[in-house]
Amino acid sequence: MKQFFRRTASYTLFFLAVLTVGLLVENPYYLQLFTFIGINTLLALGLNMLMGYAGQISLGHAAFYGIGAYTTAILTVHYSLSPWLSLPCALGLAAAVAFVVGLPTLKLSGYYLGMGTLGFGMIGYIIFREWSSLTGGSSGFVGIPPLELGPVSFFSGRNYFFLVWATVLLIIILCRRLIKSRTGRALRAIHDSENAARAVGVNTMHLKLQVFVFSAAVAALAGFLYAHFISFISPGSFDFLASVRMVTMVVIGGMASIWGALLGAALLTLLPEWLHTFSEFEMIVYGLIMMVVMIFLPRGLTRGILDIYEHARKRTSPAED
Amino acid sequence: MQAFLQYLFSGLTNGAIYAIIAIGFSMLYNATELINFAHGEFVMLGALTLVTFWGVFGLPLPVAFLLTIIAVSLVGLLLERLAIRTVSRPHPIVLVIITVGASIFLRGVAMIVWGKDARSLPPFIDLPPIQLGGATFLAQSVWILVIALLLAVGIHLFYRKTLTGKAMQATAINKRAAWLTGIPSERMVLLAFVMSAGLGGIAGMIIAPVTMCSYDMGTILGLKGFCAAMLGGIGSLWGAVIGGFLLGIVEAMGVGFISSALKDAIAFILLLLILYIRPGGIFGAASTQRF
Amino acid sequence: MNTPENEHPLLRIENVSRTFGGVKALTDVSFGVAPGIVLGLIGPNGAGKTTLFNVITGAYRPTRGQVVFSDKPIHGRRIHDIVGLGIARTFQNVELFESMTAVENVMVGLHVRTRNGFWGAVIRTPGFHKEEKATREKAMELLDIVGLAEHADRPGSDLPFGWQRLLEIARALASDPKLLLLDEPAAGLNAVETRHLGELLDRIRNRGVTLMLVEHDMSLTMKVSDRIVVLDQGRMIARGTPREVQSDPAVMAAYLGQ
Repeated sequence: MKQFFRRTASYTLFFLAVLTVGLLVENPYYLQLFTFIGINTLLALGLNMLMGYAGQISLGHAAFYGIGAYTTAILTVHYSLSPWLSLPCALGLAAAVAFVVGLPTLKLSGYYLGMGTLGFGMIGYIIFREWSSLTGGSSGFVGIPPLELGPVSFFSGRNYFFLVWATVLLIIILCRRLIKSRTGRALRAIHDSENAARAVGVNTMHLKLQVFVFSAAVAALAGFLYAHFISFISPGSFDFLASVRMVTMVVIGGMASIWGALLGAALLTLLPEWLHTFSEFEMIVYGLIMMVVMIFLPRGLTRGILDIYEHARKRTSPAED
Repeated sequence: MQAFLQYLFSGLTNGAIYAIIAIGFSMLYNATELINFAHGEFVMLGALTLVTFWGVFGLPLPVAFLLTIIAVSLVGLLLERLAIRTVSRPHPIVLVIITVGASIFLRGVAMIVWGKDARSLPPFIDLPPIQLGGATFLAQSVWILVIALLLAVGIHLFYRKTLTGKAMQATAINKRAAWLTGIPSERMVLLAFVMSAGLGGIAGMIIAPVTMCSYDMGTILGLKGFCAAMLGGIGSLWGAVIGGFLLGIVEAMGVGFISSALKDAIAFILLLLILYIRPGGIFGAASTQRF
Repeated sequence: MNTPENEHPLLRIENVSRTFGGVKALTDVSFGVAPGIVLGLIGPNGAGKTTLFNVITGAYRPTRGQVVFSDKPIHGRRIHDIVGLGIARTFQNVELFESMTAVENVMVGLHVRTRNGFWGAVIRTPGFHKEEKATREKAMELLDIVGLAEHADRPGSDLPFGWQRLLEIARALASDPKLLLLDEPAAGLNAVETRHLGELLDRIRNRGVTLMLVEHDMSLTMKVSDRIVVLDQGRMIARGTPREVQSDPAVMAAYLGQ
């Protein structure tokens, strides 16, 4: 009962926050920024399922983000397909690639898994960059059409903002439902002890593959929304650093936490904007922040702050449970 | 045949560079089980520092060389002291992010110090290219090959003959046991960091005359050196050397005979192949970490 | 040869050998486990008891020989399939899912007996809710059997060590095993806890579960076991009733060292 209340409260809060921002913010720059936060939240949510819950690292997830973006760009521009038809193609392709890549890669563990996914991610990036007849090469892909649904055009910043955040809400609900289910419990079991999970009869390979495919599809969904939002994509958005940025969002927010993913995505979207004031010192400060946060809060901000809070509370009332 | 030789020469040259970078990766992994994503930046720092000391200040080459090694090793020392050691609970993912952060940081510093323009250096000694079977072999390539092999042999002797080298390997095999037998494992980790940074710096210096040096040259070199290390079997010295040359040659042949678009992809395709077939690398244990 | 396990055994170990590199962990071990009994597997450290458990549960493949369960050969099958056939285990060093509550730990144990999948969870079909409810009820029932029902919502890793052992047994029982392998269940328990464990083993057995037990606490082993198998350096050196084994000269030699 308490849990139900808390869940309803957090959804309501989320809903109100989105509504407030969407209706009150007039400045198109801020609206765009919030839309980017939404897209990045999707990326973090998907990867969080893989890393935070199933405990499997991926250093190549930007490739799935790119597959989503490039598939819809190619289909809508070269083949004049409606974006609503290219969406399932983009998700399906990302899922299929994830399945084929995941089958051998997820047998690896620890650093070796990180390296395998890194290699895959780099190959993806190089394909986006070098297959210029299809992707426009390193100069990028221009003229991706905006989304339309009957009379509603998502060309305006506000409509797109709502579209993105409605998608975020949908994915949050989806992740929540998944976590609180037989599948989710088994995933967390793999995270805690793969050995014990196997011993109680969890088909760990099957489940890891499932969550890998899921997180790839979510990343592709983010890529789809990204491509139709800015109408121009280039390989630079899907390189190794982009993969690391996704991992950082999950870790800085706090692994295995849905609101942490949102926090991490927001921070990593806003950070470069704030850092513009540092002009050429931007990279230095960005790198420093990444290091400092990880050195002092290795469990992420939400956990880190929670730890400090718990610590303080325990000190004031040691008898409390 | 002539084309083949030409590709082989260019593959050997690049391979030697990859080998030196891979040795640095392996050495560090041996002592700490850490993959340092900032390793490529040591290469970049080596190249650009040499540009300054030799090209701009006009110091004699050996002096500039030595000063550069010291400078880059110092950066490695600072990185270990300030960033790696201070982590309270080193989870691998956290260490990955920290080293990537360090790599962005170092790149940012380099961009301010050296600017965004690419620079180049003349060969160490100005000799005419060598003609061999109709193919051209640059004099600097000879330098690169000789230095790479000398380094490999030197480190081999260091591991085999010196007490410090043996201690470092003992640390690699079992940190706790090494500590119990009185080997100061913390200092071994630091030493491994410094040496691996120094190696990266040397790699950067010797390619400076054959490539364009800029603040962003390190990342891809680092990643490829890393592929080479995995190819040979991470942690193995001669594995790193063989992996480096193998990668260099396959890459050159791929570019020459198939397509230059493949250039950067080959390293990663090889990486995936080795991980799927023999994750421990050519010289590593066959079953490492795979079940 | 008219021992009960030869009549119609639930599990047959047939000439099983297992080597690691050059080390022989098990050499030509053969015995049967009759349904409904408690079989104690004893032997000095390094005798190969845990290795044998790992072979039975599918974590290791036998180098030679076969493992037959309910008349089906199971060696070489995947671990989760073997769990599905009805073999469950606990670990020597309790391996709980530390981020989960006690009841969730047991619910994971029910994994092979439940069917909800990805889409059921996402769409929340009526069947999903029904099974989820049944899973929780079954898990609570099992916690009740081991006496931890009132601690269902505490994190499993917060429980005292003795209770963690009980929780792990409940989790293993959740897969509804015909055969349950317990690896040193009394290790780290005090005298009272050990007595409770003995009673629990009786209750589990009365539910029709066959038990195999690796245990260093001899008084417990001799009390609860119907049959004993003794391993030494990877070989079976004796088997029989507790009384027979206790007076076996080979066993004494193995335990006393020559």
